[in-house]
Amino acid sequence: MTTPTMVREFEADLVVTDAIVVADDVVGLTLAAGDGSPLPPWTPGAHVDLVLDDDLVRQYSLCGSPGDRRTWRLGVLRTPDSRGGSKAIHANLHAGVAVRVRGPRNHFPLVASPRYLFIAGGIGITPMLPMIAEAEAAGADWRLLYGGRKRASMAFLDELATYGEKVTLVAEDESGMLDLDANLGVPQEGTLVYACGPTGLLDAVEKLCVTWPPGSLHLERFSAKASAPVHNTEFELVLQRSGLTLAVPADKSVFEVCNEAGVSVVGSCLEGVCGTCETDVVDGDVDHRDSVLNEDEREANEYMMICVSRCRSARLTLDL
Amino acid sequence: MNAATKPGYPRNAWYALAASEEVTDAPFGTRALETPVVLFRIDDGSPVALADRDAHRPYPLSLGRVEGDTIVSGYSGFTYDRDGTCIRVPTQTQVPYGAQIRSYPVREHDGLVWCWLGEPSLADRRPPEETPWLSDPAWTTFGGQWETTAHIQLLHENFADITHVAVVDPVISPPALSAPVAPPLEVRLTETTVSFHRDWPPAPMPAWQAAMTGTSPEQSYPQREQGAFLSPGLWTDRWDVRVPESAGGTQTFRFTHAVTPVNSHTTRHIWRVSRNFSPGAEATAAIRPIFENYYRRVQEILQTMQRVIDADGYGDEVSVAADVAALQVRKIMRRLLADEGP
Repeated sequence: MTTPTMVREFEADLVVTDAIVVADDVVGLTLAAGDGSPLPPWTPGAHVDLVLDDDLVRQYSLCGSPGDRRTWRLGVLRTPDSRGGSKAIHANLHAGVAVRVRGPRNHFPLVASPRYLFIAGGIGITPMLPMIAEAEAAGADWRLLYGGRKRASMAFLDELATYGEKVTLVAEDESGMLDLDANLGVPQEGTLVYACGPTGLLDAVEKLCVTWPPGSLHLERFSAKASAPVHNTEFELVLQRSGLTLAVPADKSVFEVCNEAGVSVVGSCLEGVCGTCETDVVDGDVDHRDSVLNEDEREANEYMMICVSRCRSARLTLDL
Repeated sequence: MNAATKPGYPRNAWYALAASEEVTDAPFGTRALETPVVLFRIDDGSPVALADRDAHRPYPLSLGRVEGDTIVSGYSGFTYDRDGTCIRVPTQTQVPYGAQIRSYPVREHDGLVWCWLGEPSLADRRPPEETPWLSDPAWTTFGGQWETTAHIQLLHENFADITHVAVVDPVISPPALSAPVAPPLEVRLTETTVSFHRDWPPAPMPAWQAAMTGTSPEQSYPQREQGAFLSPGLWTDRWDVRVPESAGGTQTFRFTHAVTPVNSHTTRHIWRVSRNFSPGAEATAAIRPIFENYYRRVQEILQTMQRVIDADGYGDEVSVAADVAALQVRKIMRRLLADEGP
């Protein structure tokens, strides 16, 4: 007989203690527990879900200090997203309002290094703020390239001003796009590249970093990578710890099949972006379709995002 | 594939290097993370942690003496302040340039002295977890400490699943644990913590607990088990026996395990057992040996596991549903270690 196991992420109703406009269309939110109790620890690169509605969940990077265990800070850009998640946040989340928060989780962790190149596009600056603070405190040699449509749309410029020449600001309406070729054209041994921003920017960064030493590039995407339509095939799913064998039909994900079989799996975005459903692979030729794992991690075949990734071989065995 | 623990442990974490009473105005030498550390108290009572090696000759400062706010080497006579800066040498007025030993961030709370031996700039950015019950008068606490010749991961995985207790030590084990099938395990994750709980169906309390509280050993009560991996150096667990208010109210034990890698084969284990009932010294004297025996038994078992690993390597393991917390802890430890770079 199987003992049911429920795996969930930390979830709590937090209170907005401060909501201020930090740039055009960007609101900086400060969240805290209603009773002021400590919040879970986190490290730079972490993000949380704001659960606005049962099926309206949006991810935002934590951009305050991990040393502050009583409050979390987020930066939220109002975007014309179809479901109106960020619009609802801008309209409704004022000081004193409660909001359901899930997480934190981190698929963009800052790995210790003597040198960093941080690249941020627009609201992609948020995870960079705590990263930069730690790189600076550790005495690392770092630079930030920060691009935005126009200066007024670029959040947190005042905080970044304290870093002087280490920060290069490029407002598109004044001086065009970030010069990625000049900064990434020649691979640099011992430098880690952290990039976050719109898909176009990240695709360009990824392309230029192909010749860099493996493991140099770390990036976080806001939305799923665009990919050619793919054909889904059916395969057998073995859940080793649960002792179950299930069939994954072409029109269902591994995540859905597990859920329906009563095996507790954690998921959040369900589109291969947030990394919540990462699961250890025991055996099988995984067809990785997520936007979290890099090429090396895909080849290692140790983990997969079961919300979108599938299996090319007839059988997939997972540590579930 | 499901590869078990590999050598290594995160350095960027708060680890309990000593109990408060071990740190006095006489230097206390210890080792953690393959590093010799000397702990002592300066005039205002605050603890100081320095590298336990004189800058002049390979001689531990812990064999010297504390003078006011400084520590003096028992061989060279070099004198260091709380920051590890050499401020005096016996033979010349000029202090040798660069005579400095490492000092480590220290936090003392609730009877334990925590040190940060990793990247110093991160210490303030990763505040240590709070353990207020260890100093709260509403809780009665006893404990012990020793070294276990096993990798820290083996200790973590032991704390992550207590269903082995009924197998290892039938005396201490709550009868609830002998149920044919364990109730559902609920696991809660954050980026760097794992907590879990199980609600056990009504069962009698162990005979020793019934004896210390004067409760009937036959009577059954609902029980809740909780565990939390809060950092690489700290587990806090609790066990609630839901005795009705009319019969004295819920009896809760809190278990605190501070674990510190001495090296990749040895782990210091400081354990504390706290309870919110039967506060008397007599009750403590009755149950202390029961807990000590159990933790000793676990120590022996983990040492045996380490010997098997040393002899035959890390093999593939079969995991069961109850291991989910242990596997999540493994994942976090692996990630924290990877964050420290190659």
